[in-house]
Amino acid sequence: MSNPLENLSFLTLFDALAEAVLLIDDSGVVVAANSSAQTMLAYTEKAIIGLSVEQLMPKDYRHHHAGARKQYLKKPEKRSMGDGQNLIALTKAGESLPVDISLSPVKVGEKHYVLTSLHPIDKQIAAETSLKLSQERLLFAKKSTEFGVFDIHLHQQTVLYDALIGQLFGFDEDAVIDYPAFLKRINVVDQVRWESVLENASSLENDNEFQIELRIRNAKNGLQHWLQVAVKVFFKNDLAVSMLGIAQDITEGKLLQQKLNKQRIELDALSKTQVAIQTASAIAHEINQPLTAISAYSEVALYALKAESLDEERLSRSLLGCVEQAQRAGNSLHELMEFLHKGKVERAPVSLNQVVSEAVDMVQHYGYGEFHPTLDLEPGLPEVLANATQLQKVLVNLLSNGVEAVKSTGIPIAKISVKVRTHAHLNMGEVVIKDNGPGLTAEVAQRIFEPFFTTKPNGVGMGLGISRSLVEASGGKLWFDANSRDGAVFHLTLPFVS
Amino acid sequence: MSDATIFIVDDELAVRDSLSMMLEQERYQVKAFDSGEAFLSAYQEDVLGCAIIDVRMPNMSGLQLQECMAERELLLPIIFLTGHGDIPMSVEAMKSGAADFLTKPVTRDKLLTSIRPALIESDKKLSQAACIQEAKTLLASLTEREHEVMILAINGFPNKEIARRLKISHRTVEIHKSKIMHKTGAINLLDLASIAREGGCRI
Repeated sequence: MSNPLENLSFLTLFDALAEAVLLIDDSGVVVAANSSAQTMLAYTEKAIIGLSVEQLMPKDYRHHHAGARKQYLKKPEKRSMGDGQNLIALTKAGESLPVDISLSPVKVGEKHYVLTSLHPIDKQIAAETSLKLSQERLLFAKKSTEFGVFDIHLHQQTVLYDALIGQLFGFDEDAVIDYPAFLKRINVVDQVRWESVLENASSLENDNEFQIELRIRNAKNGLQHWLQVAVKVFFKNDLAVSMLGIAQDITEGKLLQQKLNKQRIELDALSKTQVAIQTASAIAHEINQPLTAISAYSEVALYALKAESLDEERLSRSLLGCVEQAQRAGNSLHELMEFLHKGKVERAPVSLNQVVSEAVDMVQHYGYGEFHPTLDLEPGLPEVLANATQLQKVLVNLLSNGVEAVKSTGIPIAKISVKVRTHAHLNMGEVVIKDNGPGLTAEVAQRIFEPFFTTKPNGVGMGLGISRSLVEASGGKLWFDANSRDGAVFHLTLPFVS
Repeated sequence: MSDATIFIVDDELAVRDSLSMMLEQERYQVKAFDSGEAFLSAYQEDVLGCAIIDVRMPNMSGLQLQECMAERELLLPIIFLTGHGDIPMSVEAMKSGAADFLTKPVTRDKLLTSIRPALIESDKKLSQAACIQEAKTLLASLTEREHEVMILAINGFPNKEIARRLKISHRTVEIHKSKIMHKTGAINLLDLASIAREGGCRI
């Protein structure tokens, strides 16, 4: 049987090829283009023939290509073009097409031609190529900025992580770990915050990206690190399936900030003591002068009574003096108190959950001493009406009192549990703070809210009294639970916004 | 010592009034001033008595008043009255010669207990000052030569030695000495020596 191709003309074959093929002469001019090539590049035969081949590629390549073409003619061979680079062909409309190109030299008579076949690259392959490139870019960025990456798979409850995350958390490098084991490395208070923002971001209606600062403890060396973490939640069929986290170690900056904060707190305490001393000494002076006069007048009166002949003139003058001076002392006190209460306090809706978390955080990490907090928040608790700054000060005062009280009794680790809930009877927001110390003796418990009462060596004894009056000014209450058998328990209530 | 005068310096009218009445009941003369400046301009010559001064006053404080009184060499003893918490100040005041330092409110008993020794001190200082004044007057009546003879005599030199030193006759020395004893009223050399010391002579 004879070969059926023997009767086939070259032109018919050339035009029938599914592959797009161009015939280029040795000066780089297109002399033939089959119909596949015309379709691919969207040229008519008339339009494409006679074009320089460089016009079929992006401008950036043209100069280089002209040189490469001359090189090729010196040593023509069958090969692919561009050493695996991504090649781009330009359509008539100027669109870029990713293509692979193969070259085959053809000699007709004395003239050299190059048969050039163009093979479009699959779109997916192109996407993969560009993904690979962007991954490489990310890797480079990660390396140079020291970002760690982790990937949480919610169904499998596993966490994939890179070397830097492994290092920070004290896990084996580049491996997988259970999500609970990962969570365990995160500070207790931050866990509560982490889960709450995560829950929020796992709903399609909300923003699915968030940033958070977390404290983690290294599993191997026990060191604490501060991480700045950016998280994006991914969904499949409207369900959150995984989260990508980018983390940066910000411990150094945090430590500096903590140190500065500690100094600020010490300074604050110092000036608070100064203010208390100044106030007390102003009160003492205001009261002492009339007292001096009252004391002397009284003794004059007593003497006048006992005199051989009743000294009525001195008696009535001195008693009148007593009355006047007692009144004067009272007035001075009222004026002074009015002056001290002058500042008007702005109240606004406040989330108890949030203020409590912040206060716990402040006490634990800003110079009041470490302790183990247990946070029990009531999700969805309505907002209360209070002054957030004052409320935070009151909570910090209660918490740091607890920490100090426990530590002063020699218990090595202070444990404070803080519960936020709705007070059923009062229908108010309530915070219950309980420590693991020995509690208060009946005598101390009776006096703790009195001004100037303190059990601390350097205390001024104004904290609880002021705290109570601040809470009461917001329509709430602050009290000590005298029935508690273990540890001191304080209750604070505030009215809901209504 | 009912002829003694108690000076009260306090910016508080009620304190001045009540303390004045109290001390008048004790038959003291009382003069009250509302500032250190008012007291200084009124008090010219030392008298038997004492001053009760408030430490904390506007303008001139109690301690500044004490300084001014010391500069003027006033002999009046000072009892300070103060509010609480002025302990370092009280130490300073006592070092500068205050008779006492009492805290307000003060009881009659405490005040009188401080006033009595202050008045005894005042009396003593006044009579000392009087003695000195008298000795100075007596010594001022001596001639220059008599003064020279007196110094040598109370230093224990015999008449012969005094005559030799001053290049005068033995007899002249004897005359000078009898005049000195007469003018100063001294009974013997020991008495003369004490007058000379009180009068501020360098012996």
